[in-house]
Amino acid sequence: MSSLIRLEVLRVLRNRRYLFFTVIFPVMMFFFYASTNFGTTTFNGVTPKTYYMVSMATFGTVGAALNTAMRIALERKSGWTRQLRLTALPGWAYVLSKVAAAGAVTLPAVLAVFAAGMAEGVHFPVTTWLGMGLAVWAGGFVFSAAGVALGYAAAPDTVQPITMVSYMGLAFLGGSWFPLSGGLKSVGQYTPVYLYNELAKYPVNGVSVGASQVIGLAAYLAAFAALAAWLYQRDRKAV
Amino acid sequence: MEARHCCRAFLTCDSSCMTTSTETVTGADRKGSAIRGANGHPMHEVAAFRNVSKHFGAVKAVSGSSFTLHPGETVAFLGPNGAGKSTSIDMLLGLKDPSEGQVTLFGGTPRQAIMDGRVGVMLQSGGLLPEVTVRELVGFSCKVHPRGYAVDDVLKTAQIQDLADRRVDRLSGGQEQRVRFALATSGDSDLIVLDEPTTGMDVNARQAFWSVMKAQADAGRTILFATHYLEEADAIADRVLVMHKGRLIADGTAAEIKARAGQRRISFDLHPQDGGDASLLNALPAITALDVSGSTVRISTSDADATMAAVYRAGLYPRGLEVTGVGLEQAFITITAEATAAEGN
Repeated sequence: MSSLIRLEVLRVLRNRRYLFFTVIFPVMMFFFYASTNFGTTTFNGVTPKTYYMVSMATFGTVGAALNTAMRIALERKSGWTRQLRLTALPGWAYVLSKVAAAGAVTLPAVLAVFAAGMAEGVHFPVTTWLGMGLAVWAGGFVFSAAGVALGYAAAPDTVQPITMVSYMGLAFLGGSWFPLSGGLKSVGQYTPVYLYNELAKYPVNGVSVGASQVIGLAAYLAAFAALAAWLYQRDRKAV
Repeated sequence: MEARHCCRAFLTCDSSCMTTSTETVTGADRKGSAIRGANGHPMHEVAAFRNVSKHFGAVKAVSGSSFTLHPGETVAFLGPNGAGKSTSIDMLLGLKDPSEGQVTLFGGTPRQAIMDGRVGVMLQSGGLLPEVTVRELVGFSCKVHPRGYAVDDVLKTAQIQDLADRRVDRLSGGQEQRVRFALATSGDSDLIVLDEPTTGMDVNARQAFWSVMKAQADAGRTILFATHYLEEADAIADRVLVMHKGRLIADGTAAEIKARAGQRRISFDLHPQDGGDASLLNALPAITALDVSGSTVRISTSDADATMAAVYRAGLYPRGLEVTGVGLEQAFITITAEATAAEGN
């Protein structure tokens, strides 16, 4: 089990696509926003730099988690999942290793963006940094579950566009690119990335997160996990 | 295999107990009936299909197939594409459940046998992980195998030490096959299943592959391989299962299958100075075809021994005698044609 997780982590870290989408791209975007002059406005009670630091950290994390979908779809096609079923590992070990690996490789993405934030003069007490890091990291599992579900739902040749569209769409509706307002917010505030961004800013002073948002995110986690479990079972019967 | 298990148990016995149990177990083992698995199937069978069928909707991929694999056998699973070989292998490994009948491995479920590390499998294609090195992939396989070997030993056996640090996604087709073979032999499995292992290999690679495989058989492992290369089945297997349109239509040694399909060819010359009545040839037993051109006689027979004995009894003096078997290929074509004809009736 641990050897499978290790293998998965190694593979993801060697993947240039991973490195670009989950580490380099969010950091670049953060520097882009940080260099923009927003004047003295605040976004929902936090400075623009803090806002974008958090939303780019979550952006990278969601990317790493959804990337799981492409890997699962490809490995179903290549027969790796079949080969694994012929080892003594229990069936769920594969899915668990994917989720665990996504959880592990998320950390560099979070650390890179937070380091960029510090370099840009964002400063918080240590406890706030830790709290934010933890919230970003833990929230990422919601999207790992979604990635697993998608990986079992989609065929290898369609999984990439589906993943990219969901990724960009959710980030847009989640307010990762700019704070939502008006009609967009009335829809966006129920989407998982929005709730995730809110949760991740919770440790910052002066930001309040309602129980409804935590419950909302937990509900998404439960729904994605149930969907993933069902699709996984269906796949095992079909092979 | 039994012996190994016995030894484990005896380690806890004192010497007197050891003597008695050894005798008991050995005796029972010879009779081959006393030792039974948890569900009553004899332990000396490696794998068993009991009246197994598998259908997908209206399509019958496998119908009413029954066979037993015994320890130490090297068995070829022969048949054209779509004959039901892959479906049978999937059921044997527990990847698919049979629609009817029962499949057991070592007296239990296929899954249990895999969990116990008794089965090594080489898939036909795919099944390799990109972005890792050969050593990492094989090392992983060794680690998750309940009776895994050291990775260096496995690489050496599969003769891929020189590939150890190459990335799996940058190998040639033949190299990939050798890595798959390494995955199948990464632990002390009792049964090795190979699905068309030499597909895509050139002649040299195939020969090298089978010599490595032979060492596995010599180590006492049971080997089942699917193939459509008849010469492989002929050269390597000591038993051949022939599948055709979902049915097991032949089960025997390559020689038996050739014999069943007819056969042997006899040729010799009859010289006039030796005397004898050549017209007696028409009365020979077991012949299926007779061709006399000049002094040369060519006979096809289903029983070369009986035919030749009769030739001598008839007072003939055959010179330059040759008795040759027909190839398994010819036998295979004959048997499948028979099966198709039988189906038509």
